[in-house]
Amino acid sequence: MAPFRSLVEERYQKSIEAAKAGEPTAWCVANYSMGDPILMAMGVQTVYPEQYGAVCAAMGTAQEYLKRSADEGFLDFQCGYARNSLGYAAKMTELGQIPAEAPMGGMAKPKLLLGTGATCDGKFKWFQAMARYLDAPLWVLEVPHPAVGESLKEGVAEHNIRFMVEELREFVSFLERLLNKKMDWDRLSQIINDVIELNRVWRQVIELRKARPGPMHMRDFLVCMNASLFLFGDLKAWTEAYRKVYAEVKYRVDNKICGINTEEKYRLIFAQIPPFHSLKFFDDLAERGWNFVIEGSNYHPPIPADYSQFSDPLERIARFSYQFFTGFHEDAFHDKEYMGYFAYPNLGYARDYQCDGALFHALLTCRPATNQLILVQDRLMKKLKVPTLVVQGDLVDLKLFDPESALRQASAFEETMTHYRKVRKEAGLAW
Amino acid sequence: MVVKTQSKGLTRVQEIYQDRPHRARELKAGGKKVMGYMCIYPVLEMLTALDMVPYGILGDIKEPITKADSCLPNMVCPFVRSCLDLGLKGKYDFLDGVALAHTCDVIEKTAHIWHIYLDPSYFHFIDVPHTTHKAAQKQFKELLKDFQKSLESFTGKQLTPPVLKKAIQAHNQQRALVRELYDLRKPDPPLISGTETLKVMVALMSLPVNEGINLLKETIAEVKQRKNGPQKKSARLLVWGSIIDNISLFEMIESLDANIVIDDTCVGSRAYFPDVELTEDPLDGLAHRYLVELKCPRTFREAEIGATKKDYLTDLESRFGYLGEYAKDWKANGVILQALRYCDTHGYEVPGIKDYLNHIGLPNIYIEHDYSEAALAPLKTRVQAFLEVIRG
Repeated sequence: MAPFRSLVEERYQKSIEAAKAGEPTAWCVANYSMGDPILMAMGVQTVYPEQYGAVCAAMGTAQEYLKRSADEGFLDFQCGYARNSLGYAAKMTELGQIPAEAPMGGMAKPKLLLGTGATCDGKFKWFQAMARYLDAPLWVLEVPHPAVGESLKEGVAEHNIRFMVEELREFVSFLERLLNKKMDWDRLSQIINDVIELNRVWRQVIELRKARPGPMHMRDFLVCMNASLFLFGDLKAWTEAYRKVYAEVKYRVDNKICGINTEEKYRLIFAQIPPFHSLKFFDDLAERGWNFVIEGSNYHPPIPADYSQFSDPLERIARFSYQFFTGFHEDAFHDKEYMGYFAYPNLGYARDYQCDGALFHALLTCRPATNQLILVQDRLMKKLKVPTLVVQGDLVDLKLFDPESALRQASAFEETMTHYRKVRKEAGLAW
Repeated sequence: MVVKTQSKGLTRVQEIYQDRPHRARELKAGGKKVMGYMCIYPVLEMLTALDMVPYGILGDIKEPITKADSCLPNMVCPFVRSCLDLGLKGKYDFLDGVALAHTCDVIEKTAHIWHIYLDPSYFHFIDVPHTTHKAAQKQFKELLKDFQKSLESFTGKQLTPPVLKKAIQAHNQQRALVRELYDLRKPDPPLISGTETLKVMVALMSLPVNEGINLLKETIAEVKQRKNGPQKKSARLLVWGSIIDNISLFEMIESLDANIVIDDTCVGSRAYFPDVELTEDPLDGLAHRYLVELKCPRTFREAEIGATKKDYLTDLESRFGYLGEYAKDWKANGVILQALRYCDTHGYEVPGIKDYLNHIGLPNIYIEHDYSEAALAPLKTRVQAFLEVIRG
């Protein structure tokens, strides 16, 4: 897991160096490998204000940027990552340079902003609001979010993919004008092949976590996931790093080594976005034997599929990204569960990873990550007799997350999980 | 309250406003299919063309939200929670189905929750693109074709271009009458209040288009002739923002020294001002109007698509310039920006709109509310203070 820890810090350093050398930097939102491969192929360094929000929260500088964004007129219920970066951008513009206190060297002034309509309105509205401070143009990637039933109707997937490909072609054209250079299509093709392979290997690691005891706790997963979710650097090297993780986790599986280094008493699923500023919370739960063996699908690669028949790299990108949002739709339709991409997979995870309980983090400033949690809580109980503990918190505002209060509920929830083991047995469920 | 079918104009408006489902239930009993929709993106012309009654799903500010808490967290849009709550309580049991759209994150998720928990006989979700790019317009047309197929399958009828064009003409006629109604607030004092206008808009969402047209004609004729319209007041306000489907907020504002002369909200001008161009293939006109012409913040707009340079003021002008035009045409001397708590799409607009309004010298204030009448009392004080600013 070790090399992944440096990935986050390296990224910011690289972008600062690039900016100093006059090379372009993009501020991006997580775009499910739709825009990142194209930016990589065009030689653009990427930083992610979402990720940077978590960094600032962990390093203790978020409160200052949150206050600044409030002074600028942004509202307190809006995304903490957004407000952190809006406050940061306001201060950077005022100073004419990166603020001194910015952790990891800060985010360099961008040449462009890359938003998306995927998963969250904030992912383009927030970047649109950034125009107050940054004169960088904003491109918004379009990603269809068809409903379960609608997506399976004749012709729908095809026109959705056509739409995405056309949009990506326009995005390439935009970048060529902005950067005054042409796309290297061979390089792009290789990059997307590398992305697909990287995620295939990473997915194999995630599959290993079905073993008992769980060989890889969510904490380790969160360290490693950045190479997949936020593409960076030498993708072949990161794929090799994932292969080493696979070997390490496989060793644990074969030797029944538990990922929490103590007895696994309870297996849990976590959704959706963790309190990155307070991850020690999970260590405290691990000491009680809580092993988070799987987490919500927002951090996972798409269900594997074969893209080899598609020669157009843009079509491969589109299909890969579309798979993230719709790969589970056939199963969901069969189960008459019409919920979306952050909801339905949790049912499968709870079953396949044999979870005793779920811990859901309801975020006061992130509706996309929280909207469906009550629904999933209900379905987990009704279909699988898996209970859920809901803990309120926030992306970056430490004042809104009370780990002590959450820990005080642990004991009672353990009793609940123990009880529902019996209930599941009586209901004929496998675990 | 029983809606007396012989009532006309503002009396009928009031009756419908107070008992919205009444006419829809009558029509359903008479054999019509009633199709629920939320927001301004489901294409109503397609419902009308298949002889269905489009029925706007709204909330109820007076009904405590209880059942919706079992499937939606309480830190999401209270209007959407209220709509779902009413659905779960059976208040929309007269609907034959629902057509919902990807208008914002919360409605997207709530659409699926509605599908799961209410299990309507007909459900369709239109995944509206987020930009106005050419490819997005093409995509939206494809999505409308999907919608058309599902409606045809449900009704057993074919939706032919001539029939659809007729429906477009009817809805355009209704829109023209709404604009004529709004023009009645250009004089000083306005001939009809913002509160009364809102009631008319809510009533229109409860009727088939031809009945809405007749209601508008009656109302316009009545308002033009009456002598007891609104009083002249110091403030002529433009109200912008999240959905307002209840008169409480407007009543509060107009109880003060202010007339609301124009709005930009979805039960208001936003839904009715743009027409559908009658194109050879009617789906082209519909796709363009609903994706490009509707000015809801859920759609990403920019001064020039794909521009490699950005100028903030140019961007603001392209996004909000129409508000300046409204203010000019309706002689508004102040703007109230209002949003429901947890409304992200409108919330992110607020600093930018304020910058724009400050740039053109229009006094403005932002107020936030939580879709409850209890929230209005402290807001009244703030609005009063704002009106002092306008009075100078």
